[in-house]
Amino acid sequence: MKEIKFALYAIKKNIQSSAELRTSFVMNIIGMSINNIVFIVIWGFFIKSVGIINGWTVADIVGLQGFVALCFGIVFSAGAGIRKLADYVASGAFDRFMLSPKNLLVRIATSSFGASAVGDIVFGVVCLVIYAVLIQASIYQILLIISLVIISVIVFLSAALVVYSASFYFTDADAVTKSLFELFLTPSLFHGGAFQGVMRFIFTFVIPSLLVGTLPVEIVRDASLEKLLPVCVLTVLWFIFSIKIFNRAVKKYESSNFMTFGN
Amino acid sequence: MSSNSIIVSNLTKKFSFSARNESSGWLKNLFSPEKKEIIAVNNISFSVKHGERIAFIGPNGAGKSTTIKMLTGILFPTSGNVNILGLDPTKNRKKLAYQIGTVFGQRSQLLPNLPLTDSLEFFGVMYDMSEKEIKTRITELIELFDLDSFITQPVRKLSLGQRMRAEVAASLIHKPKIILLDEPTIGLDVVAKKALRDLLLKINKEENTTIFLTSHDVGDIESLCERTIVINHGEVIKDLPTEDLSKTFIYEKYIDLVAKTSFENFPELPKGITYSSKDKNKITVIVDIKTISVQNSLKELLTLFEVEDIDVYNADLETVIRHIYEKDSQKL
Repeated sequence: MKEIKFALYAIKKNIQSSAELRTSFVMNIIGMSINNIVFIVIWGFFIKSVGIINGWTVADIVGLQGFVALCFGIVFSAGAGIRKLADYVASGAFDRFMLSPKNLLVRIATSSFGASAVGDIVFGVVCLVIYAVLIQASIYQILLIISLVIISVIVFLSAALVVYSASFYFTDADAVTKSLFELFLTPSLFHGGAFQGVMRFIFTFVIPSLLVGTLPVEIVRDASLEKLLPVCVLTVLWFIFSIKIFNRAVKKYESSNFMTFGN
Repeated sequence: MSSNSIIVSNLTKKFSFSARNESSGWLKNLFSPEKKEIIAVNNISFSVKHGERIAFIGPNGAGKSTTIKMLTGILFPTSGNVNILGLDPTKNRKKLAYQIGTVFGQRSQLLPNLPLTDSLEFFGVMYDMSEKEIKTRITELIELFDLDSFITQPVRKLSLGQRMRAEVAASLIHKPKIILLDEPTIGLDVVAKKALRDLLLKINKEENTTIFLTSHDVGDIESLCERTIVINHGEVIKDLPTEDLSKTFIYEKYIDLVAKTSFENFPELPKGITYSSKDKNKITVIVDIKTISVQNSLKELLTLFEVEDIDVYNADLETVIRHIYEKDSQKL
């Protein structure tokens, strides 16, 4: 309880801190929203010209973008500190988290606020509302969407944690972790109908990209509990795995003495 | 309960890194680099009593920061044990954090964009203090550290001296039993340094806080610490009361000779006397009193130079410390 209270307080302070730099704060949010809208328009044109692939319609693409954008927004707004892990480790700024009496992961995640990711949250919610309208979602499907958002957020967080834990193993891991994260994120935004056979297996079990967008859309579309159950199991496994990887990686921390400023 | 705040036994920390082998090609260096190991801290042991003020000094790269990081749980030791207030930092890092405060001179823990009050409040919440406790403690710290004039300013707009006071204040919000400071006066002017030292003495006296600091500033050691531990090449080479530190080189005396007109020649000096500095107005020599007495030195010097004034004195603490470092390096 104390951990949650502190996490919420830290997020509030980070928002206040970001809002101090008002222009940058607002521009970040608007910029990210525009970026996402352009992306979805391109996919709309693609479906219109290519047609339906493996049962995926424009509505499904909107849903997919909604799930992924919302996950991205939630994890990287409130928990933007995870994305800075490579920088924290390289500069030695990670020291201050080790000195905190709070859970290390919570402390790191809530050490920074990603203003631009708020744009993703807004965009994600709008997309999911449009998606629900387009598929004329039943109450059951709406409840599924809400549950799957929570599941997707946990998978997204786990994937981010595994990737950014690599920061402890390389001297300057910023570029490496960014590339590795793109390897997870890019397929998650891709047309779900394109993943079949081996590709579907790899991007579900090895790299959990499909768990944050494609599979949730398919579960909502089919209103399928049979598909939901394995996704839930995989989510729990990924979460446990990511925590174990992170805890092991932290022990590799070697600190450094660069000048840094706190948050 | 033990009378010791800190007990360090046979503590060692090794770092390994990839080193480029000049005789190998770049491809081999890229994919199969040579692994090298450095021993940053080598089997050190010491203990610190409750309320003691310890200077933990040494030249750059001696292992000071690495030791302090192992004491606080930031780094995991390669071998050996650390016991802080009965807790092992590697196993009880979170519990220990409630008992200690830390200040890193080169690293801020404050929220840069928000007023200082917010940073103090942030730390209060982090240490699970109630709203009332936080308010009372902030009022105490504002008074103790004279923060009133800049408490509402964003931290990034504070001067270095103000920021360091704020850093120390923030580290004390939860009334820690031990405060560990890594070069807290780095970059501060003489006034800010004195103010910070006075504050640390005050909290040591009023709250019996154990102070463990690393510093390159002799003033910090002289005016603040009752005991000094000297570390070099990862090993403790001296551990003694600070006032005894200057007696370490008691066999050396310094003599200043002030020229009557000016010194034109600098002749070779008798055995046991060496030049420390020489210019046309003033010469400073070092006398090894195991080789030649002060009285004989003066006689010899007066035959060599025409002087207006003479001053005989012991080496200052900075010189003593430099000698300790140099002597230890010559052993290698």
